[in-house]
Amino acid sequence: MFPQFGATADTLSKASTMVFRIGTDAHLYDDPDDVSIAPLLDSKFDSEKCEALKRLLALIAQGIDVSNYFPQVVKNVASQSLEVKKLVYLYLLHYAEKRPNEALLSINYFQKDLGDPNPLVRAWALRTMAGIRLHVIAPLVLVAVGKCARDPSVYVRKCAANALPKLHDLRQEEHALAIEEIVGKLLNDHSPAVVGAAAAAFASVCPYNLSLIRRNYRKLCEILPDVEEWGQIALIGILLRYVIASHGLVKESIMFSLQCTGSSHSVKDGPDADFGQVKESTDMDGTCDYEFVNMVSRCYIEGPDEYLSRSSYANRESFELTGEQFTSGKSNDDVKILLYSTSPLLWSNNSAVVLAAAGVHWVMAPKEDVKRIIKPLLFLLRSSNASKYVVLCNIQVFAKAMPSLFAPYYEDFFICSSESYQVKALKLEILSSFATDSSISSIFKEFQDYIRDPDRRFAADTIAAIGLCAQRLPKMAHICVDGLLALSREEFVTKDFGFGDQEAGILTHAILSIKSIIKQDPPSHEKVIIQLVRSLDSVKVPAARAMIIWMVGEYSSLGEIIPRMLNTVLKYLAWCFTSEALETKLQILNTVCKVLVGATEDLLTFKKIFSYLVELAECDLNYDVRDRARFLKKLPSSNLVSIGQEEGTNDLPEKDLHVVAECILGRETRKVKTESFSYRFYLPGSLSQIVLHAAPGYEPLPKPCSLLLDDLNVPEGTSEIKKRAADYSGTDDYGTSSDPSDNESASDYDSQHSVAESSGSARGDDSEFTSEGNDNADPLIQISDIGNASENQNGVSQSGPANLGELMSDRALESWLGEHSGSSNPGISEQSQVRISSARISLGDVGKRVKPKCYSLLDPATSGNGLKVDYSFSSEISSMSHLLVCIEVFFKNCSSETISEITLVDEDSNRALDAADKAADVNQSCLASSDNVPTLVPMESIASLEPDQTARRIVQVRFHHHLLPLKLALYCDGKKLPVKLRPDIGYFVKPLPMDVEVFIDKESRLPGMFEYTRSCAFTDHIEELNKENGDSLFVKDKFLAICESLALKILSNANLCLVSIDMPVAANLDDASGLRLRFSSAILSSSIPCLITITVEGKCSDPLNLSIKVNCEETVFGLNLLNRIANFLVEPTLS
Amino acid sequence: MLQCIFLLSDSGEVMLEKQLTGHRVDRSICDWFWDHVISQGDSFKSQPVIASPTHYLFQVVREGITFLACTQVEMPPLMGIEFLCRVSDVLSDYLGGLNEDVIKDNFVIVYELLDEMIDNGFPLTTEPNILREMIAPPNIVSKVLSVVTGNSSNVSDTLPGATGSCIPWRAADPKYANNEVYVDLVEEMDAVINRDGALVKCEVYGEVRVNSHLSGLPDLTLSFANPSILDDVRFHPCVRFRPWESHQILSFVPPDGEFKLMSYRVKKLKSTPIYVKPQLSSDAGKCRVNVLVGIRNDHGKTIDSITLQFQLPPCILSADLTSNTGTVNILGNKTCSWSIGRIPKDKTPSLSGTLVLESELERLHVFPTFRVGFKIMGVALSGLQIDKLDLKTAPSRLYKGFRALTRAGEFEVRS
Repeated sequence: MFPQFGATADTLSKASTMVFRIGTDAHLYDDPDDVSIAPLLDSKFDSEKCEALKRLLALIAQGIDVSNYFPQVVKNVASQSLEVKKLVYLYLLHYAEKRPNEALLSINYFQKDLGDPNPLVRAWALRTMAGIRLHVIAPLVLVAVGKCARDPSVYVRKCAANALPKLHDLRQEEHALAIEEIVGKLLNDHSPAVVGAAAAAFASVCPYNLSLIRRNYRKLCEILPDVEEWGQIALIGILLRYVIASHGLVKESIMFSLQCTGSSHSVKDGPDADFGQVKESTDMDGTCDYEFVNMVSRCYIEGPDEYLSRSSYANRESFELTGEQFTSGKSNDDVKILLYSTSPLLWSNNSAVVLAAAGVHWVMAPKEDVKRIIKPLLFLLRSSNASKYVVLCNIQVFAKAMPSLFAPYYEDFFICSSESYQVKALKLEILSSFATDSSISSIFKEFQDYIRDPDRRFAADTIAAIGLCAQRLPKMAHICVDGLLALSREEFVTKDFGFGDQEAGILTHAILSIKSIIKQDPPSHEKVIIQLVRSLDSVKVPAARAMIIWMVGEYSSLGEIIPRMLNTVLKYLAWCFTSEALETKLQILNTVCKVLVGATEDLLTFKKIFSYLVELAECDLNYDVRDRARFLKKLPSSNLVSIGQEEGTNDLPEKDLHVVAECILGRETRKVKTESFSYRFYLPGSLSQIVLHAAPGYEPLPKPCSLLLDDLNVPEGTSEIKKRAADYSGTDDYGTSSDPSDNESASDYDSQHSVAESSGSARGDDSEFTSEGNDNADPLIQISDIGNASENQNGVSQSGPANLGELMSDRALESWLGEHSGSSNPGISEQSQVRISSARISLGDVGKRVKPKCYSLLDPATSGNGLKVDYSFSSEISSMSHLLVCIEVFFKNCSSETISEITLVDEDSNRALDAADKAADVNQSCLASSDNVPTLVPMESIASLEPDQTARRIVQVRFHHHLLPLKLALYCDGKKLPVKLRPDIGYFVKPLPMDVEVFIDKESRLPGMFEYTRSCAFTDHIEELNKENGDSLFVKDKFLAICESLALKILSNANLCLVSIDMPVAANLDDASGLRLRFSSAILSSSIPCLITITVEGKCSDPLNLSIKVNCEETVFGLNLLNRIANFLVEPTLS
Repeated sequence: MLQCIFLLSDSGEVMLEKQLTGHRVDRSICDWFWDHVISQGDSFKSQPVIASPTHYLFQVVREGITFLACTQVEMPPLMGIEFLCRVSDVLSDYLGGLNEDVIKDNFVIVYELLDEMIDNGFPLTTEPNILREMIAPPNIVSKVLSVVTGNSSNVSDTLPGATGSCIPWRAADPKYANNEVYVDLVEEMDAVINRDGALVKCEVYGEVRVNSHLSGLPDLTLSFANPSILDDVRFHPCVRFRPWESHQILSFVPPDGEFKLMSYRVKKLKSTPIYVKPQLSSDAGKCRVNVLVGIRNDHGKTIDSITLQFQLPPCILSADLTSNTGTVNILGNKTCSWSIGRIPKDKTPSLSGTLVLESELERLHVFPTFRVGFKIMGVALSGLQIDKLDLKTAPSRLYKGFRALTRAGEFEVRS
């Protein structure tokens, strides 16, 4: 109307923003580098420094790398102005890791600041110093933290607690104890603010050290309401874990009700039988779905991966909670005080605190008190939209486990149009899961409104939910079906308006819901089927049509009317066959076939229709339809023949045919996802519960009563394993025979493998290359049985030395037990279900046969003047620094003259250091000489080398990069020859001996993004097998040969420790699939463990398909290592 | 433990990144995120927890600004979300609203605030009153000062006293010439009226907001005349739980300045202050709309700024709507908004007109939901009444003030 006004308003608003921008830092953000920053940083005015720093910060905010200003910025740390200091700290923390040397320059100032009278300055200094995260200064930070933990200022002590996880992140074993000690001290602090931060530190530094909590459990409970909110979240979790570990679960709680009643139920009769009863009794008196709760509580304690995989083994009894693992919530003071102190937190303003407190009550509170958490949880739904979703995810589990809990509050789950789709879908699911006879009518009224919602995806979900409700409450089935039928007849769904999938989805869901309702009680819904069939002409959506047609076939003999309709219906179907969509065509064929097989009258007509349809289908454009037609053609013809020939005795074949038809045709048309609910449960309030997989660092609750009074340092769970182990050896013969010390008789493998051993020792001269001989006389092969296959009974060979025997047996047993969790590994579990039993092999002598690969450093012919220099990576570990890699260098004089003064040095060793570096170096060396590692530890030079003489030296090299070669200079006869040393990432690790159990445990903690797999082919063993073809009397030998060649190949190319070899036992003898080798190692520089698992797939005599899996926290390193392993496995061996 | 926080503008630009731990998060994660936002639209934006290939992301969207936090390890998701909400609250409080420009213009303050609020991925100081003492909010004086002198510091030189005291939300010993406390009841009414015109749900979500300027260490008690109507409550950390548990009395030492003392909910109310009667009848490709709005029962207070909003269904081609009071606007995204203001004495506001449906479509099969907005000053519709506010060790002069306000929350009328 008045464009000029619009324009004015526009300019006005622009002008006003201009006014607002005056005096802010806007210009700095818009043009951060319009003036040169460097001189400003060196200015003597604080304001100019500030401006420069703000410009740098703006550049950081925009993602531009400005780390090149680091040295100049660091100098300003000495400034007295707090604003400059703050800005410098912000910059410093952003880049410290990138520029460690320069960051060290600031340490002195931090130490000075730590003594400042102003607590703010002290706290900032501590925060920044710890935040720099350099290994070199860790000891200094530790001292500083220790000092600040005694500071008079609460704020500084709180910052000290916050600094502990930073220190812990550096993973320096030597400081672990000191850190834990400070955590303990801060947990004992009298100020609640400090305790909260200390609890957070405890959770990330030493979550298992529950004895620290034991000391001041009472005090922590009492102080809990006063702790600041974020600390409360951490502290609640810790206290819950402590109570369960020390006292076990509570007898009156929900978690217990399932244990007794639930297990007895499932023993007596199938779960389906008692489901009905449970539902009947699901009223207001607090009963719950036992089966479900049972599953939930087990998932909480064991973690769902372990629980689900174990339950598929049908040995549920291996984890059974006994009465001793329960305590009474009424008499146990520790439980009571925890519940008492967490209950007011349900009123907290912080939704995370409320949910954490609700979690404690859910697990620990007596059943009648669990009600307390309902209202606070429902109130959380009124907070932000984001938290609403998270809370609903948790309520969903609670409501499924104990429908009576939330059922009276169904109105709170009614849906607002402004909510997001995810929230709506969740609410629908919750509503349909606890609808009761009393609430269903109002819920249905709501549902009817939702069907008219403009969001059609949501409307389709509503229809699915109606179907679910009708299945839960059979009384409602008729009403639901009527409604759904009416819906499916409405014009907007049946007519094809080109609204696309959305309306089609509604119709499909409606028919699907009807179908599932009919399935429960077909006879009473006969009329519905007839109505649906009548509507066939108007239903145009292929998926819906297909479903109706399926029903025709499925219920063709139901009642009286349907069989009489068949004739007409089939004719109609045959008539419209050509114009149908693919899935409908297939379903028509199926249905006609089913009708034909089951029919008693009108056979001739049906047969005609059938052959007509088959003829049509055989000429169809789509090959699926053609295939189906050809296949079905055979089926009824035999039926008709049998009917025609002997009328009386066709009972049996017809029955068979029914079965066949049922098996082939009975499958559902299409699975439309109706229930997204998963049976994986994680602790309430955890991230894993939202994303439905165990996030890294997720820990289930500790095993009840695993914290022993006398023995505080036992890692949780072991006591139980030992107990179980004892049980087993007592009852099961097999368990004892797996003990190698008992098993002297099994010598098959001995004799057979002495060959291998002798061949190994024949190559004994190679063994000088392996500096690390395996000095403990490992058995040649040791099969500890892990399955129930009897063929393996004698598969255990000589034991180790007597003193080792004791140890070994224990370990074997434990690994026996550990195996179950091992196969919980997703992805492998499917195959391990088929092949449950497997044997564990160890190859004792393989270490001696390891022959590291030699690379050429200097070729005598081209550049070396007759000097030949080769090198190979050594498995030795440098004693000087963890950054150094040991390399064996072999010198050989191939010329006819003596070569003198051979030495290998760093190419840049005499490069002049520039000023900054020098300063940094000085600083660095005075701080910690241990990390000041040169590129190359100079080797002992060789004075002279006669013709044909060889010499061997060990050099220690520090590679700066995993992949780039290192330039070195070789001096001989006074000449300088440049050489390049190529790194081999396989030797950037050191062997990390561990047993299988530890391995599997570690592996399970490194899932998801810390896990990478690649597959490759492996052919080395074929040669080996051919070689031994002569004496292949024992078929098992093939496996061994494969194992050996594989293990050798890997150990010769990388510095790893062989943990275990698992061999399938029950398998086809020629099929090596399922063979699994595990290797462990730790990264040299950081000691981060790096686990490698190789799984074999394929026939023994063919090239094998290997899938290699690396679990490592250091993602880049892990990937590089994985690639390296895959590459060398493919390379042929140079023999 | 959060590893990184990103602030994204509504066009997907990364305005700010703050790395929190040693495990740096590359900002390429934001590209991944934004690609998904574009490809999956709003349903992705409303997902608070996202598992990306490398990180778990928490997102909170406020006024077009996306707050994105990344972590790689297990942590309570609500902690991440709640923290981001606090950050956005504090920022909008500091900067007087949130938008792209205001964040860019004050990026230094945002950085400084974030640095105080979180340390090593764990929240450090989130209490707004303490933050205000540590980092001064930008105000007109400091802006002018910085223009004139070219120098101003917003970083406080001293540690706020509150961080050290045992009451972490209150600075020790402020001094005021006039001691005053104001208590506001701010209520929002949520209601759902279904197609039959029946009231499905009607409840009030309320907050008790206190603005206190008291010297020394005041100990206040607040009691209600009818606490039994409260269904659920949540408290500021300053409230002592035990007196509430036993006598339903709020006993607390207030923070200095404005804060939210408690929030509450009153459920199952019987009536709404206004009624909205939509009528839609469709035939032969046209749909007649008629909406009436009126006052249901008089509280004796004027109902202000009444608005009505609804989304036209996607199958509608054009709309022609007129009203006898107020103005009707149809926005670009097919949102129709009718602002009525106050209801005139002499007539009942009504909106009427026709909608033209897509061709081939005879009748309307999806129906819009009307969202109603209103404001009533001076009354708390829940009926909650404050009984008295007492101060132990009362100073010589104490001004107490009480106010109430109700506005519409999720007030929906289905048609």
